[in-house]
Amino acid sequence: MNKRRFSIIINTTIALAVVACSDAPKSAGAAATPFRVALLTPGPVSDHSWNAGAYEGLLRIRDSLGAAISNIETKTPADFEDNFRQYGAQAYRLVFGHGFEFQDAARRVAPDYPNTDFVTTSGNTTGPNLAGLEFDLANPSYLAGMIAGAMTRTGVIGVIGGTELPPVRKSFVAFEQGARRANPHVRVLTSYIGNWDDVSAGREQALAQIARGADVIFQNADAAGLGVFQAARQSAHVYVFGSNSNQNDVAPDVTLGSVVIDLPHAFLTVAREVKDGTFRGRVISLGMTDDVVSLVLNPAMTSRIPAPVLTTVDSVRAQMLRGAFSAVDTLAPVAP
Amino acid sequence: MATTARRADRWAGVVSFLDSPWAAPAVVLVVLATGAALLAAWYGVSAVSAFWFGSIGSWYGFTSGTLVRAVPLILTGLGVAIAFRAGVFNIGADGQLLAGATAAAYVGLEWSAALGHASLPAALILGTAAGALWAGVAALLRARFGVLEVISTLMLNFVATDLVAFLVRGPLQEPLHIYPQSATLPSVARLPTFGPTTQLHWGLALALVLAGAVWWFLARTAAGFRLRIVGANPFAAAVTGRVRVTRVAAWAFLASGALAGLAGAIEITAVTYALYDNLSPGYGFTAIAVAVLAGLNPVGVVFAGVLFAALETGATAMQRDAGVPSVWASVVEAALILILVAGASIRARAGNRHLRDAAS
Repeated sequence: MNKRRFSIIINTTIALAVVACSDAPKSAGAAATPFRVALLTPGPVSDHSWNAGAYEGLLRIRDSLGAAISNIETKTPADFEDNFRQYGAQAYRLVFGHGFEFQDAARRVAPDYPNTDFVTTSGNTTGPNLAGLEFDLANPSYLAGMIAGAMTRTGVIGVIGGTELPPVRKSFVAFEQGARRANPHVRVLTSYIGNWDDVSAGREQALAQIARGADVIFQNADAAGLGVFQAARQSAHVYVFGSNSNQNDVAPDVTLGSVVIDLPHAFLTVAREVKDGTFRGRVISLGMTDDVVSLVLNPAMTSRIPAPVLTTVDSVRAQMLRGAFSAVDTLAPVAP
Repeated sequence: MATTARRADRWAGVVSFLDSPWAAPAVVLVVLATGAALLAAWYGVSAVSAFWFGSIGSWYGFTSGTLVRAVPLILTGLGVAIAFRAGVFNIGADGQLLAGATAAAYVGLEWSAALGHASLPAALILGTAAGALWAGVAALLRARFGVLEVISTLMLNFVATDLVAFLVRGPLQEPLHIYPQSATLPSVARLPTFGPTTQLHWGLALALVLAGAVWWFLARTAAGFRLRIVGANPFAAAVTGRVRVTRVAAWAFLASGALAGLAGAIEITAVTYALYDNLSPGYGFTAIAVAVLAGLNPVGVVFAGVLFAALETGATAMQRDAGVPSVWASVVEAALILILVAGASIRARAGNRHLRDAAS
């Protein structure tokens, strides 16, 4: 009896499964949409940060360019390559890998799918259909540096990074340049936390800099950077500049401003190139003049910044946007 | 009295079904079909179709997706099965896999110039040894001091994860010292794929041969028999005076780690070609589910490994092509395990009742 009942259940379910599978056409390969864009993220797109920005960019590509979109969260290097291949095989026009970690897989896959363009955020690997996307933080960092140099009472300011990635270092060098323009004798302390997520390590580094006299700190350390805000809050007269996303609301009482990357706009800019056929494999660097990166001051704190400083910053910003002036884009430290 | 008899009768039917070799496949089919039906109801047929073509319904999906993913699951699953058969609860396969991956990456990067074509075998062998060594720490603690291996192996997972994180930012970091990953292995240290158009590599053959070897060892050799009695009842095994329980368990522990280490070495030499953070998406933990689903049978491990790999690649395809959250596959995996564990417990209880009835 039991066996018979089981066999009935099994037969029914097999029949169901067969029906479910057989009437499914290969919808994936045969869609008629001409422009399709895909995104691989290293984490969930609900993170309100790095991945969320990329996903928002994908949605903007859909809405502005009428693209069909697909996204996937990938966890391991094996997943990266497999998903690049799958999108390539389905003839997606543009595939983003959102992080430097995607570039090895992209380099292996790109030659096999010449009709698909691959872009890795923060990557520096290039090929005929493979580009890196990097953000030029130099100009807005320079502006932040000008404010920091003008506001320091001790003559010591600090920069704290997650790890020593080239864009982070360039941003810090520009910050130092800006600070020297405002105060030629300023001393700059530099620390790297060693990761991007250890909040307490970020706090320790900031407290150490504060103990050495730093009273304005520019941080670029994602989640670990939250510790820098904590350290500033528990010390008197210490200000912070944030990076990457608008962090002015994280600690409105100590944050002067943030160097903000507009990820959605950057993604849209790249997708537009691909759609227009002007895309070339290279390191795409998007900065202030592309409307992708900007210094956003914290409205709650602008009253603390002396008016002449703000005026100078505004005029330098205008020069930068006109192309009349630019922070030196370099990895080398500034000569004192 | 009549009701009791009828109830016993009903249990007997269930027990006889659960004892038959068809029990596990039947449960799997029922759960999969239920999952597919629910999916189709919620997300439409396109989700089921994406799952099907991404996992086993297309040649590329099956060979380059599912089977590639199955290799580490089969090898770690075999490792877990051997340990569990000997009564050793090694839940540290993930750490042992990372140890193997690290050793293989080191050999492939640092010694390949000197070793030439011996690099690949050296990477695989030393990876295997590193996995055994990592398990050996827990095995030694268990044999000497009676430290519970459930605790020690779990803790060693974290040590291995952080050790890899340190190495890819320190001694093994790529030459530019920008990204937290190692350099890429030279081609002499890579395990070849079956052809230019496929991702499927020779690790699959290795995994299948080892599954056969483990089956033969457990079922057909005296040492395998001793291992099984140690697992079934260590006290009885000790009483025979012929079985050195501690030693047999320790060897099973080492073999278990060795298989996980080989899995890691294969991932490095055949799939990623470099050491990274997040190298393993929890292969060592899925391996426990694979081994349990297979009833700790080495041949069953092959099928269970392919099944779990198909679930995961199918779920990825579903997210990619139909926008369905990939956690769906985890729900199906969990449902499978729950039902099978419940089934085993029913079988055990009903078996006891049977014995009592027979005795009275």
